[in-house]
Amino acid sequence: MIGRRIAIVSAFVAVLVPAALGAQGAAIQPTPRTADGKPDLTGVYQASTRRGPWDFEAPGDQPGQPAGRSTPVNASTRDAIPYQDWARDKAQEYLNRRSVDDPTTFCIPQPTPRITPVGLFPIQFVQTKDTIVILYEYFNVFRSIPIGRPLPDDIEPAFLGNSVARWDGDTMVIEASHFKEGGWVTNGAFTSDALRVTERFTRVDRDQINYEAVIEDPKVFTKPWTVRTTLMLREGARVREYVCNENNLDAERYREFLARPSLFTRTPPR
Amino acid sequence: MRDGLEAAGWRQVSTWLRTVALVMALTLSAAAAPAEAHHSFGVAFDAEKTVTLTGTITKIEWTSPHTHVHADVKDATGRVVSWKFEGYPPTVLSRTGWKRDVTIKVGDTITMFGYRARDGSAFAHLREVTLADGKRLFFGPPPGTGEGGAVAK
Repeated sequence: MIGRRIAIVSAFVAVLVPAALGAQGAAIQPTPRTADGKPDLTGVYQASTRRGPWDFEAPGDQPGQPAGRSTPVNASTRDAIPYQDWARDKAQEYLNRRSVDDPTTFCIPQPTPRITPVGLFPIQFVQTKDTIVILYEYFNVFRSIPIGRPLPDDIEPAFLGNSVARWDGDTMVIEASHFKEGGWVTNGAFTSDALRVTERFTRVDRDQINYEAVIEDPKVFTKPWTVRTTLMLREGARVREYVCNENNLDAERYREFLARPSLFTRTPPR
Repeated sequence: MRDGLEAAGWRQVSTWLRTVALVMALTLSAAAAPAEAHHSFGVAFDAEKTVTLTGTITKIEWTSPHTHVHADVKDATGRVVSWKFEGYPPTVLSRTGWKRDVTIKVGDTITMFGYRARDGSAFAHLREVTLADGKRLFFGPPPGTGEGGAVAK
């Protein structure tokens, strides 16, 4: 009922404000909805702060670059990571070693949010009434997540954790737990088997999903902390094959580096 | 071989300006969506050691997690050195305007701007390629990608 009301209001707004423009001058279009009035997340997205198609001729529109011709629609933020004292020392050591210990070097998929809002690789949502599937180009992995149902009782710890989804108004809330120990949620930020990540996806209009991930791990952090960013619709983009172990020369190269730590380790600034 | 730290004149100025721009870009993008890559930049490559080389492509490996370009480059004494460059995987290159075996192919002469391996070998992170017609395209992320901050916070 509420969903239908929102749909009607959205349609009304869309009619009343046909000239509503995005930050880059592209028309803002209403959030697509399913037959039952829920927002439909289906589509291919990429972590970005820019609306509309990439102009790869524009240096500022290259992945990994700040905004160029386009204007950011929303800045990304991350809380300071509330490490426990021993964990901060360990994370600092990882950074001093310039993340040579990063599991991604060995093509190990990492816990969300690390694999979700990724500047280089798109994700695809496929939404049905009772399941949300997220396909990741990064590591070519997927999460098939039941909506409104509990975790089954035969789950195993997993690199991507085990997830359940529910609706909170117009926001898709996904709670992931039962991770394998040792994933990094950002560089150096290692986690334990007590990791729990609560993600909130809000498709505020056709092109933009506001993304928030609350990270909890009582074995590593003193309190929950949050990452916020935007996922932008990438029309014309698709999730493609990225088999990290196809030609991963880095694992062997890093072993050679590890024999010569003075080559890459650093002393952090105070 | 023309090294950004050794070359004189405009090329050196240009390289430095580019480096400054890249550092600024990196700083500005630090809070933005993470340009997560396969691994740390800083373990293998030195952001302080830029290199600009012109050479002839001998082999291209369109593979994940990295595309590799191999090129023969003449050094100051005229000796041909076989360099290897590393960049984005093919899927990312495709999304950013590259066409496999069209944009660059074996036999082409290109100019490569990147960051040298810490071990001093003829290996570098390839940030940008300048094609024979002068067109410039990024081939890999800016320095620092995947490395995280200097301080755990």
